[in-house]
Amino acid sequence: MVPLPILLTAIVYSFILSLLAMGFTLQYITLSVPNLAYATIAFASTYLTLTFSLMNLSPYVAMPFGFLLGGAISFILYKFVAFLRNRGTSIVGLMMATIVFDLIIYAGMNIYADYLAYVFKLYAGSFSLSEFDFKIFSLPAVLFVSGLTSVGLVAFFTLMLVKTKFGVAMRAVMENYSLASVHGINTERILSIAWFFVGGIAGLSGSLYPIWFAMDPWVGARMFISIFAACVIGGLRSIYGSLLGGFIIAFSEVVVTYFLSLYFPWIWAYRAVTSMVIAAFALVEMPSGIAGLIEKLRRG
Amino acid sequence: MFLIDLIMDIIAFFCIYAIITLSLNFQQGYTGIFNLGLYFPIIVGAIITAYLPGRLAMIIYGLDPKLDFSANNALVLSILRTKLSSDPLTSILLLTLTLATVALVCYFIGFLSSYPALKLPADYLALFMLCAGESLRVIGMQTDWLAGGVMGITIVNPFWWLGGYSYYGIASFTIISTILIALLYHRLCESPLGRLLKSIRENELTAESVGKDVNSVKRKTLAFSFMILGLAGVLHAFLMGAVVVGGYTRVDFSFWPWLMMIIGGTGNNIGVFLGTFSLVIMRRIMIVGKHYFWFLPFNVVWFEPILLAIMLMVTLVFRPEGILPERSPKIKDYLRKVLKLES
Amino acid sequence: MVSQTLSAGQNLELENRPLLTVKNVSKRFGSFYALQNISLTVPEKTIALLIGPNGSGKTTLINCISGVYWPDEGQILFDGKDITGMHVHDIVKMGLVRSFQVPAPFKKMSVAENLLVCGQGNPGENFVSSLNRRAWRTFEKESVERMFKVLKTVGLEDKVDTLAGELSGGQLKLLELGRLLMLNPKMMLLDEPIGGVNPVLANSILSHIINIRDQFGTSFLIVEHRLDIVMKYVDYVYVLSKGNLIASGTPPEIVERRELYDVYLA
Repeated sequence: MVPLPILLTAIVYSFILSLLAMGFTLQYITLSVPNLAYATIAFASTYLTLTFSLMNLSPYVAMPFGFLLGGAISFILYKFVAFLRNRGTSIVGLMMATIVFDLIIYAGMNIYADYLAYVFKLYAGSFSLSEFDFKIFSLPAVLFVSGLTSVGLVAFFTLMLVKTKFGVAMRAVMENYSLASVHGINTERILSIAWFFVGGIAGLSGSLYPIWFAMDPWVGARMFISIFAACVIGGLRSIYGSLLGGFIIAFSEVVVTYFLSLYFPWIWAYRAVTSMVIAAFALVEMPSGIAGLIEKLRRG
Repeated sequence: MFLIDLIMDIIAFFCIYAIITLSLNFQQGYTGIFNLGLYFPIIVGAIITAYLPGRLAMIIYGLDPKLDFSANNALVLSILRTKLSSDPLTSILLLTLTLATVALVCYFIGFLSSYPALKLPADYLALFMLCAGESLRVIGMQTDWLAGGVMGITIVNPFWWLGGYSYYGIASFTIISTILIALLYHRLCESPLGRLLKSIRENELTAESVGKDVNSVKRKTLAFSFMILGLAGVLHAFLMGAVVVGGYTRVDFSFWPWLMMIIGGTGNNIGVFLGTFSLVIMRRIMIVGKHYFWFLPFNVVWFEPILLAIMLMVTLVFRPEGILPERSPKIKDYLRKVLKLES
Repeated sequence: MVSQTLSAGQNLELENRPLLTVKNVSKRFGSFYALQNISLTVPEKTIALLIGPNGSGKTTLINCISGVYWPDEGQILFDGKDITGMHVHDIVKMGLVRSFQVPAPFKKMSVAENLLVCGQGNPGENFVSSLNRRAWRTFEKESVERMFKVLKTVGLEDKVDTLAGELSGGQLKLLELGRLLMLNPKMMLLDEPIGGVNPVLANSILSHIINIRDQFGTSFLIVEHRLDIVMKYVDYVYVLSKGNLIASGTPPEIVERRELYDVYLA
């Protein structure tokens, strides 16, 4: 059987990863540009959590601030990308624009980490805040918080898409941007809000991450691999596919690698890489992902 | 002497980046394959260079098999240095074998990775390669016996037999290799193959409709440029005298070359040299200049990505086509120069 | 101009052997049937016309024949071989080529390069032999000579060094045709070759097509809307509506059938 810590790790990780994968896909669908800065935006918020913990506050205080930070950065990024897009910049240029943000945030994170090291005399190269967590039913609270947050956000998002006028408009924009604008939908406003929201989710997920996991400046890059794998497995343009893909990848990274590590102890360090291998195989065998498979089954 | 060292250093690094950016131009400027994971084959080259020549030398000289190149790095290297300093033949052999192995392996990897990669839309292909590169970096940093893990590993220098001039040896070799590679790319791009690649970049469906097997060509383009990028990794490793896989970041070996290509102007090999040259000079100046910023509470090295970001932003907004435009040869010139005819 | 007197509704008498045969081809997108059970034949040395209102499936049919789409049902035979499910470039190598409704040139390349790249089997396009100039010099020379001839045929000689992206709409149509001529095909599928082109140029293009048929024996399947201009140049007509083949016959026969006009107005 799977030891409890491993299982809990898998669960927390899957909540965080699936949220991130879903957000990434949403941004991709809305602008047809994969946002390379996404993981970095998410993990910039980890430093907020760290800061609050250093000030002896509960790390969960960082959650709303993480949401705001992620949302704000994402909003600005959207404006920049939309500006370039309206000038007719190619998809290559638009992706480079997201890289611009990725670089700035990446540098910013590291500068802040250096600054913290300077001020607080701690090594911010690697930190984990699980000691600042409290317990519910003798289990780490982050388990419940991440679960509730994750489920809550997905439910909220689904309800919004289906029930609200805004959600319907957003679906229209996702289906067909030009058609939606012709119908009088203010596509710019919808997308700005959508990107803010998705960035906020990213920041929120990021702020929760260090409460369980060890954090270092390269987590973002490693997570990006997992996010990518999750989206590929789920189906590139499917939001709920990515959600499912996130769970699959998270569990295979943690649980499957755990079992493999019983026979090959060295494999534990290569968790992120196994996702890449899975993604590569998935691409060759089922290029349209799980969503594509479901489509094919539905059509009979 | 110091000035010559500095100049050689700049030229050698210019050469490495020239090779990388030429390969990027070949893939993207000419063929239109957007690839953000250039550093993937470079790391492969570096890792093989960290692993292979040292161990081969150990076998050739019959060193104690209980010694491990990685774990007993310092000891093994001192022994090998003594041996290789008086054995130019074996040194050259090691160099050649490493280059040949890397070329083969990287060609194969490029070919293999094209199978999943080409099934993806252009933007995700770029991402796939980026993730592949990042994964390899993770592997390299975690695995001690491959390339020294996080701390890296010092490697054999194939020009120890030149004594005090061994750095000049490797630098000169790099320069000569770069000239050869540049000529190679020039030949390829000026031939009908270059035209074919551009047609694929312009419109894949039309290229298919005139009978070109687009996927096959893209596959070979990727494989070929992977091969050359791997060689760049080898040269870089030998130049540094050590391999630290963590140092091969996407910023340094994917994004900076991208800026170099864009600034020079895509689809234009001379532009590549221009872009590469200006940026290499700029970065070298920065490395020297950062000593003036000692008072800041953080490591000034983080200014580099910010500078890159600003330059990218400026280029994207104001001058996306680059400095030098792409030229289409006039038919009369083509007939005269290439086909040696008077029309 | 070939005219064939046949009784109404009878299939084209095949004094020439069939070059392209489409058998019961269907194509759907999701639950929408773009093509249903289409069968047609184009013999050698024949110019056939495919007409129908917008959305009737004409371009879809061309896409199925040329390999851009693969039919869900049915079979396509060309020159005696089954080409159903073959890749586009393999079909082109067999001698069946197509042009695009919206011209799709290589914009940043000159007209000369656009044409030269069409050379089949150029040793200079191979990675290894491209390095050896002597391996491809002869091929290129011949290619260039062909190119000048093609330029003369379509009337674009003075544009030889112009970038394709700078050509006018009509010139782009000529370039599309020129590309296909370089390929020396057995059959051309032309998707609106005179769309948006002034009548003088249109008649010129169509006369070229006739010449090509007579000189080289090439067959054509043309999709066109401008029936006033094109009818007098073709040998046989197929009428498509909502994915179904609703009529076929010689131009006089089709023109006579008033009910077909309603299809366009429906």
